[in-house]
Amino acid sequence: MREAQEITPKNKENDKSLKGTFASVLVVAAIIVVMWAGVFLIYMDRV
Amino acid sequence: MAKPLKDIIRDDPKKTLGVTPEDAKISKAYLSVAFITLLVGGLLGLVQGLERAGLLELPAWLNYYQVLTAHGILLILIFTAAFSIGYLYAGFSHTIGGLLPKVRKMAWAGFSLILVGVALVVATILMNEASVLYTFYPPLAASPVFYIGLVFVVLGIWSCALGVFINYHHWRKNHRGEVTPLFAFFTMGVFILWFFGSLGVTIEVLTLIPWSMGWKETINVMVSRTLFWSFGHTLVNVWYIIATSAWYVTIPKIIGGKIFSDKLARVVVIMLVILNIPGGFHHQIIDPGISETVKFLHVFMSVSIAFPSLMTAFAMFAVFERAGRKKGGKGLFGWFTKLPWGDVRFLAPMVAMIAFIPGGAGGLINTSNQMNQVIHNTMWVVGHFHITVGVTAVLTFFGICYWLVPYISKRQLTPQMNKLGIIQTIVWTVGMILMSGSQHMVGLLGDPRRTSYTTYGDHETALGWIPYEYVMAFGATLLLLGIIIQVYAVFNMMFLATKGESEFPIGEVEINAENTPLWTERWSLWIILLLMVVAMAYVVPIVDFVVNAPPGSPPIKTW
Repeated sequence: MREAQEITPKNKENDKSLKGTFASVLVVAAIIVVMWAGVFLIYMDRV
Repeated sequence: MAKPLKDIIRDDPKKTLGVTPEDAKISKAYLSVAFITLLVGGLLGLVQGLERAGLLELPAWLNYYQVLTAHGILLILIFTAAFSIGYLYAGFSHTIGGLLPKVRKMAWAGFSLILVGVALVVATILMNEASVLYTFYPPLAASPVFYIGLVFVVLGIWSCALGVFINYHHWRKNHRGEVTPLFAFFTMGVFILWFFGSLGVTIEVLTLIPWSMGWKETINVMVSRTLFWSFGHTLVNVWYIIATSAWYVTIPKIIGGKIFSDKLARVVVIMLVILNIPGGFHHQIIDPGISETVKFLHVFMSVSIAFPSLMTAFAMFAVFERAGRKKGGKGLFGWFTKLPWGDVRFLAPMVAMIAFIPGGAGGLINTSNQMNQVIHNTMWVVGHFHITVGVTAVLTFFGICYWLVPYISKRQLTPQMNKLGIIQTIVWTVGMILMSGSQHMVGLLGDPRRTSYTTYGDHETALGWIPYEYVMAFGATLLLLGIIIQVYAVFNMMFLATKGESEFPIGEVEINAENTPLWTERWSLWIILLLMVVAMAYVVPIVDFVVNAPPGSPPIKTW
């Protein structure tokens, strides 16, 4: 529980961190690239 | 010192007065039409899926293309429009302190016009006079009554749009130097895009009426298709902005977080409004008669729409991460487990957002020139449409219902109803994974869309599609079950649930957030930029289509 946490500079830093957001957008980018590349390879295979 | 009552009423009337009953009636009427339409359209969707898989033979008086046209028109034109107006008017009224009496009248006028339009459109489809598919562009020709019905629907939407513009102008006059509440800003963005986006299709439909009546022998098919798609793809993004309004404005409040950046949200709306309309051209990327240079420009224009979507992905992840960390989430992804997964008001839009990752990636494939040739007019496109509209937009709409309907009906979301909502979300998600997933896969194997059941003389390739079509039919069955649960939930919350006050969740910005700059409110400038982008994209090809016109097409009735 947040209420039970001691407010220390470390906790404050944890609250503001956007490391997970950065990692998540990289996952989104990877999905886009993999899907796009997959269909591009099908295209190349068929032409 | 406490503020005088008149100032409280002026600044934040909802705190004093709660929901305005007259405004709530408007939203209830539109939402009722939306969910009755959803039930009928969803049933037709299942009929279509079963016929397509060869599991159901339609009676002689009903054909596949009639069902396909009715399913499309009812769900993507009527359900979405009625839900959107009901939702946006409720939020607009809530955030700007109630609608003006004349604006209420315009919303009711819009309601009547849409109902008349729906009656005309549905009647012609039932009479088998308008099996022209939901895109209704020539050379397929419907009865003139069908097109006249569409004109009524557009006029209804314009009436609601004009109402919002009038009320916005009135609010701005009384709140000089202030930025509009974020929800109202989204509402303005939606209606501006809806209005300008529908101008092209209106011109198209007005030319189709004399052609379908026989007053005009032929029609320029290229111009008609281009005008249609200037609207068709814009409409998709109208739904998308509506969904993002809930993500940006209400989700932070529901999960106990804060809006990541009010300014970023407004910039996303502005970019979507300015850039959107030429995106429709990627639907014509295989069309003849458009030069490669123009196609290259349009591929770029379509891809540009991805930028605001990527900004939204970043902003929403940031909202989730901060809210999750405040609740004790640690490490790289520990915050993810701290989100309120048991709250349907969060779960449904969250699934909708996750669906937009493959949905958006699919969109980038569709708009890439060469790859469009792999998927063009295959079931992939149907799968793409169902994952983006059917999940990203519609599941967000479903999630909105669990707080919006209790709010406008002065009732409560009970734990039982929340549980039912969770079940509905799971049924919908599984149904759509099966249906849309198999549509994507079988599309890559070449299965064409918009085609009733056939084995092409038992050709080996066509027979290979059938197992996927069975999965599609099973997914469609689950989706109809999901629709029945949702419709029950909406009408239960509207008329039967426990009475009480429910909150309209409006997120707040971080305590130290920067003030939102007033320049974001320069709608006249954004409209000028929108028109410039439209001119840049459309003047050259349309002039080319007219000057070097292909032979015109007479009306064709293939059924």
